[in-house]
Amino acid sequence: MIQPTAVALQAAFLLVLFLFVAWVVRSTLRDLRRPDEQRVAGPPPADATGIHSAVTAGAAPSGPGEPRLVVERAPGHTPGMEYELAEGAVMGRGEQAEIRLDDPYASSRHARLVLQGGRIVLEDLGSTNGTYLNEELVSGPQPLHQGDRVRIGDSEFTFVDR
Amino acid sequence: MRARNRELLGLLPASLLIVAGFGAVFLQEQTKLGDLSLTYGAIFLGLCLAAHVIIRLRLPDADPYLLPIVAVLASIGLVVIYRLNETLARDQAQWFVIGLIAFAATIVLLRDYRVLERYRYVIAAASLFLLLLPRVPGIGQQANGAYLGISLGPVNFQPAEFAKIGIIIFLASYLRDTRALLVSRKRFGITLPRLKHIGPLLLVWGLAMLMLVFIRDLGSSLMFFGGFLAMLYVATDRLIFPVVGFGLFGVGAWFFASTVGHVGDRVSAWQHPFDPKLYEQIGGSYQIAQSLFAQADGGVWGQGFGQALVSVGDSPILPAAQTDLIYAVIVNELGLIGGIALLLIYVLLIERGFRIAVLARDSFSKLLATGLTTVVALQVFVIVGGVTKVIPLTGVTLPFVSYGGSSIVANFVIVALLLLISDRARREARR
Repeated sequence: MIQPTAVALQAAFLLVLFLFVAWVVRSTLRDLRRPDEQRVAGPPPADATGIHSAVTAGAAPSGPGEPRLVVERAPGHTPGMEYELAEGAVMGRGEQAEIRLDDPYASSRHARLVLQGGRIVLEDLGSTNGTYLNEELVSGPQPLHQGDRVRIGDSEFTFVDR
Repeated sequence: MRARNRELLGLLPASLLIVAGFGAVFLQEQTKLGDLSLTYGAIFLGLCLAAHVIIRLRLPDADPYLLPIVAVLASIGLVVIYRLNETLARDQAQWFVIGLIAFAATIVLLRDYRVLERYRYVIAAASLFLLLLPRVPGIGQQANGAYLGISLGPVNFQPAEFAKIGIIIFLASYLRDTRALLVSRKRFGITLPRLKHIGPLLLVWGLAMLMLVFIRDLGSSLMFFGGFLAMLYVATDRLIFPVVGFGLFGVGAWFFASTVGHVGDRVSAWQHPFDPKLYEQIGGSYQIAQSLFAQADGGVWGQGFGQALVSVGDSPILPAAQTDLIYAVIVNELGLIGGIALLLIYVLLIERGFRIAVLARDSFSKLLATGLTTVVALQVFVIVGGVTKVIPLTGVTLPFVSYGGSSIVANFVIVALLLLISDRARREARR
């Protein structure tokens, strides 16, 4: 006792399902073809999983400009504020730090930025909570590139050298 | 078209599905077509609109396709469950509303999901506690040899559904901190992390094995462990970790299959579903064999709504039709073509999830999105693979479709978290 109306409704059910699938697929494909609009601006992922790109992105020479650290967000700082890094600097919560961090996660001498062979190198000074370069825990000295993000606790900076 | 308007448009198909589906079921069961199905469709649309308004207010940049996809899946589930049992469908509709409340609460209360990182050890401990809860005498319940549910007075729920979210959050936060260390040391040309760093990961493997023994459920243990391996791969970009991980899991699973009776029974039922002895045996291959019969009976175009033979009198033809075997019921009634449509929608859901992971800018968000998406993907694989005899059948729910309150609520929380991650990622990408 299969009713024609029931069959029609079932066909409609399946039709709606497939139209929905087609609609989502079409929009997804369009997104993929125009990657610039929605994708992250910046270097394309250099490996399968995509989060290593920032570290592995080649050793482009330092830009001609002054190396600076721009505040993205940090307790006690105004976003957009810049620190000149000509002679390097120590970041930390302590009095001697050139870049003072009002951050409960920061150690008194937390990390150091030094000029080595024409580049600024970031080095953690044995801090308790670690220093993050592009969200990677820093172990050992790391040369900084244009646009790298340095994070200590809740304080985040961007490195700029052009 | 702006993202939110796109989402709004996407909710229409789900309500159409409710109207058409309920209409067809009513026709089959009462041979008359009232306007009740239109009412149901309108109520469903109203609920989805409420969720949409919350997203519009709080997460204006979030992925526009997730909510419509979830609404479509839920509407398929409601129609099929209604067709199986009216009372269960009413329950399920209530759980759907509670799930939406949990969804809204997650979005409103957890504005910045990154605070979760601060509580990672609390979250991990709570999740472990939840996992072991079903073994506590008095409140724990055993079903088909597996300890998954607990009952507190009138409320039954499956704590593992919530524990999986907690464990993914913990792993995302843990791997974000240690992933650089995991790949920092090389010996003999291969990546060989120190024991100190790999220790917690071995602990997770031990946990998955422990779940096999204590909870006796291969499906959930595969879900947890597979999610973990996917996150480990994304965190380290070393294929060696998932390869070794699956190897270890295989060894462990094989060991328990040959020593723990309950797991072994499942495996032999899977290998020989049509063996008359196993077919007759209690807890044998009856369920999987019937599932295969039902799917074959469906053919390409299906038998039609309301046509599946679920039980004769009191003896079930399709045991646990509303939970484990719901995919078999769908294939029987809507045919291969309906099954394919359902699986395609899951593929879209998973694609959106991984896309959110790709768009996210920081490791924690990437890992969280990867983990949550993988767990949902594996859950679909475990249950659809189980009823189609690709892997041994274990009872997990088909996300958003199967009957089951905990599953619906937990999956809504997962979608809320994905939307939170997506909103932040897309907003940052636009700047």
